[in-house]
Amino acid sequence: MLEIPAQIWQKTKTSYIWRSLFRHGYPDSRKNQSLAVFTNVFLHLHPVKVRRHALAIPYTWCMGGLSFFLFLILTLTGTLLMFYYHPSVDGVYNAYGDIKDLETVVVFGQLLRNMHRWAAHGMVITVFLHMIRVFYTGSYKPPREFNWVIGTLLFFFTILLSYTGYLLPWDQLAFWAVTVGYEIARATPVIGDEFAFVAFGGFQLGPNALLRFYVLHVVGLPLLTGFLIAIHFWRIRKDGGITGPL
Amino acid sequence: MTTPRGPQPFAGQEKRLRLLAFVRQDSIVRVDKRVEDTAMVWPHLLVIEFIASMLWSIGLFVIAAAFNAPLQDHATPDCTPNPSKAPWYLLNLQELLLHMDKGLAGVIVPTVWLTFMAVIPYIDTSREGVGIWFTSANGKRITIFAAVYATVLTFSLILLDAFLKRPEDQGGFGYIEKATRYLPGGKQLFPNYIIPIVLMIGLSVLLVLIVKRLYAANTREWMIAIYTGFVAVYLVLTVVGTSMRGPGMDLFAPWAVPATHQCLEPKA
Ligand code: HEM
Repeated sequence: MLEIPAQIWQKTKTSYIWRSLFRHGYPDSRKNQSLAVFTNVFLHLHPVKVRRHALAIPYTWCMGGLSFFLFLILTLTGTLLMFYYHPSVDGVYNAYGDIKDLETVVVFGQLLRNMHRWAAHGMVITVFLHMIRVFYTGSYKPPREFNWVIGTLLFFFTILLSYTGYLLPWDQLAFWAVTVGYEIARATPVIGDEFAFVAFGGFQLGPNALLRFYVLHVVGLPLLTGFLIAIHFWRIRKDGGITGPL
Repeated sequence: MTTPRGPQPFAGQEKRLRLLAFVRQDSIVRVDKRVEDTAMVWPHLLVIEFIASMLWSIGLFVIAAAFNAPLQDHATPDCTPNPSKAPWYLLNLQELLLHMDKGLAGVIVPTVWLTFMAVIPYIDTSREGVGIWFTSANGKRITIFAAVYATVLTFSLILLDAFLKRPEDQGGFGYIEKATRYLPGGKQLFPNYIIPIVLMIGLSVLLVLIVKRLYAANTREWMIAIYTGFVAVYLVLTVVGTSMRGPGMDLFAPWAVPATHQCLEPKA
């Protein structure tokens, strides 16, 4: 009985197409396990082997990985949200109306919005906790100095991403929260007015500010953050994997 | 002139370089050489990653199904809620704004802090304690000390500021009025610049001096003290800004904060 599926499996595995996709057998031997990792574009971020303590949850708290996971979730849900969102303050199709529609008309729209929102808050927390774990385990020490610097930038961009997103619903909460930031920007010594003008597109929080924040939120900052994460991960490998007791 | 031995470059190509050396691994990939105690990524790490991402997906899904993201009325520029608050992760800065000049609190302090944080590894360059939580028992004691020091001080300073700034006829000290009248530079120079700057720098230096004295702290250890102090201040400011500030950004006990006045009608 079982010969037929076994034969089909055998045929498939030796077929031209299958072998063009996978260059290794089932990962049950050391060799195939290694091949599975480094012939796969997504997995090859990893080394083939890691030091055992790197797997210990009390050591990393998984916080770096979870920050990345939330970043991916946010990219996914954010892209879906973009299908329903117009960055404009009034008119027939406007930001606030779009958010209302998401909550009332779009199938699973409310759930989508909630996931994006809570994941964003979550990422601020996980990145902060990750930074704390890296500091207290002394993981910024040589040769990882520069990766810590990249990390500091990532922390800053994570906050900026959250903050630019906060304005997008264009409700009272968004408007006045961002006004607080606007006042701070204007208080920058020497270049306050110029800086606020460039960052918010005017001397008032209006359509320009919404558009600027939108573009930064969906294109500029995610790209920058993505690049920095790529460098961050690359450096972890080049610095010899994550730290551990000497 | 003697010609060098070996094959000669063609005329005009003398500058061509060739790579004919072995490079020590350390100069490309800096690896700590330690006892080999490794596990295969497939399956050990991938299984953890898979389970973690599943659990977190489910968790996020449950949270998103249970709690709705807030949405208030359409933005109205002439209708100011009292208080207007930034998102919680910036409320620490907003809290700081209440105690000093805006530019100082909102721009200079965070910039200086982020810069300082970025250069930590260039100040503390020892490799002591890599991979060990808190480095040592001494590090752990210093962490606890610095956390208590910073929490108590920040909290007291916030309370003190609230008392000092309350006008005299309301039972406070009337500090702003007094400063305007008696201090050089009026209510700007001392209250908004000199005192906060002296406090921020002074208390940080004091912390370092204390841990050096009490715990014989080395560079890594006083860095732990400073960093812990920062984290504690950051958290205290966030908590106070989030849960103890009511209308007018006045200070309240967390359980007695009045509701936000959603809209202040513009004055006609
Ligand atoms: C978007 C934000 C970030 C992501 C996605 C991220 C991701 C990661 C991941 C997956 C690791 C592997 C080990 C672990 O999970 O703990 C790691 C390590 C590291 N991260 Fe981050 N990180 C972020 C932000 C930061 C920040 C804010 C800092 C510090 C200021 C930082 C500094 C480091 C350093 C120095 C390491 C090496 C740690 C070691 O060797 O033990 N990262 N990061």
